[in-house]
Amino acid sequence: MAEVRVEAQRGYAGELLRNRKFFIGMIIFLALLAVAVTGSLFVDPAQRRTGSFPARLPPGRGAPLGTDSLGRSVAIQMSEAVPNSLQVGLIAAFLGTLIGALIGFISGYFGGVVDAVLRILIDVFLSVPSLVFLILIASLVRGVGVQTMALVIGVFAWPSPARQVRAQVLSLKERAFVQIARLSGMSSLEIIFRELMPHMLQWLGANFVNAFIAAILAESGLSLLGLGPQREMTLGMMIYWALSYSAILQNLWWWWLTPILALMFLFLSLYMIHLGFDEVSNPRLHSQG
Amino acid sequence: MIAYLRYLSERFVIFVVTIFVSVTVVFFVPRLVPGHPLTAVFSTMAAAGGRLNAPELIEEYNRLFGLDKGLWEQYVSFLRELARGNLGYSIGSFPSHVSDMLRSAIPWTIGLLTLTTLISWVLGSLIGAVAGWRGGKSRFVQALVSVALVLYTIPYYILAIIFVFLFAFYWRIFPLSGAYSVGLRPGLSLDFALNVLRHAALPALSMIVVSLGWWFLSMRSLITSLKGEDYILQAEAKGLSNRRILWAYAFRNALLPQSTGLAISLGRIVGGALITEVIFAYPGLGWLIYNSITSIDFPVIQGGVLLIVFSVALANFVIDMVYPLIDPRIRYEQAGRR
Repeated sequence: MAEVRVEAQRGYAGELLRNRKFFIGMIIFLALLAVAVTGSLFVDPAQRRTGSFPARLPPGRGAPLGTDSLGRSVAIQMSEAVPNSLQVGLIAAFLGTLIGALIGFISGYFGGVVDAVLRILIDVFLSVPSLVFLILIASLVRGVGVQTMALVIGVFAWPSPARQVRAQVLSLKERAFVQIARLSGMSSLEIIFRELMPHMLQWLGANFVNAFIAAILAESGLSLLGLGPQREMTLGMMIYWALSYSAILQNLWWWWLTPILALMFLFLSLYMIHLGFDEVSNPRLHSQG
Repeated sequence: MIAYLRYLSERFVIFVVTIFVSVTVVFFVPRLVPGHPLTAVFSTMAAAGGRLNAPELIEEYNRLFGLDKGLWEQYVSFLRELARGNLGYSIGSFPSHVSDMLRSAIPWTIGLLTLTTLISWVLGSLIGAVAGWRGGKSRFVQALVSVALVLYTIPYYILAIIFVFLFAFYWRIFPLSGAYSVGLRPGLSLDFALNVLRHAALPALSMIVVSLGWWFLSMRSLITSLKGEDYILQAEAKGLSNRRILWAYAFRNALLPQSTGLAISLGRIVGGALITEVIFAYPGLGWLIYNSITSIDFPVIQGGVLLIVFSVALANFVIDMVYPLIDPRIRYEQAGRR
């Protein structure tokens, strides 16, 4: 039985890799990551300080992507910002998917009053834009670092995975194999983890990418409102600094354009990965084109 | 009818609970932060180089919100003041009421976003309908779909930044920021109206283009899915012209779900484009919240947050209330029990 399951999983991964959208998205994503990480390996930490370079240098030999008006290299900022933004996405998406899956499982599996209460709660938090609560919290807890910010974003990222997981559990739990497991005396926890979880993994994959996108969006939104990590670089903070030193009016196009392009490619790649997950998990969507 | 009432009461419960939960979150979160909620705000403000004439203000607030009493009493009095529409005073610009500041910001946001949402909905739906009718084989449609996907994927403020650079800085066609020229007195004159339109054009354009993508994709897939329906085939068999079938048959049937989308995004207007306003220094709610964040003016931030929550919840409730009346196909049980 176990071997069959492993086989099925490998088939799923193979199908994902054969999906064109997933593949292209993954390539762009990994390329961004690789450039940023290898870049950060060659950076001398002292060069991160303001004034390490002459200010307002256009892209050229001294600084491959130019420098800002505080004398920081844009390329060095990027090597810090991309991993930091991805870190926010990763932590927040993991936390949000985990909490969401848990709530969705409990709500769908146990039903009754528990479900009624949790369902209303999911509805409530789905209808209010979470950025609003994030603004409130971030404006109270000033000077947060990248990780704290990721945790706060993650805590509000659960409603959408919760709804999806709940719907999935509802449709799965009446299937024969779950009934048999229950009749053979498995406990609820065992059923959730051994019988339902394997079916949920692909759903959780798509949800995870979704939450990842939402988290990076929330990070850049908060940063642009002036609530980002002031002492660290993220893509949102780079745009924030560029805008607050009016990089556009000073015609320092390399300063604001670099993080914007990185964000665009990041979102495009993540969205393609998400589409790939969707097509492989719901083949019916695929045939509609 | 009874089914409708039951459905309605469930939606109403969700509306009330949404408001209640959000207000409770807004009340308790500041109090989870260590230290006195107001002194914390004041000391950060002082540290940020603000003024330090706080003691009387703190007294005033203590009295106003009953902060010297127990947590439960505070909570009750917070709810009571909210129900009266009292959001307290701004710290940054002290004697002004938060509610007055919100009231002067909100027309700019609603005006700008209603206009852009409607324009982009109409354009996107029309282009999407034609593209859906043409089918996926034409190269042109494929190119449009890719562009729409890119627009739909990127964050909405990215285009705003690029537009500021191109249209306001490089070509200097539109003003850089603000809602009207500095020194102009707001009034009901043609000059002022034209000035306002000129200032609104660029933020509006950036938001129209970004949301076009979504309306285009949604209308296109609606039309594509309707193409195989029996009544379309019958209309074709009757020999009606292609144009007639598209606009009088397919488009009309796709209009209802597409309008739901419009209603939902109209409901989200109030908190919908905070960052666009920041980029253009457009004096709406986003700009107000941004300025309150820079001047650490917590009551105004809190008021803005509550206003957004309330309007979103209200809009959702109204949509839920009206939708089954327009579309008899919706089943109440199903709607509640997704």
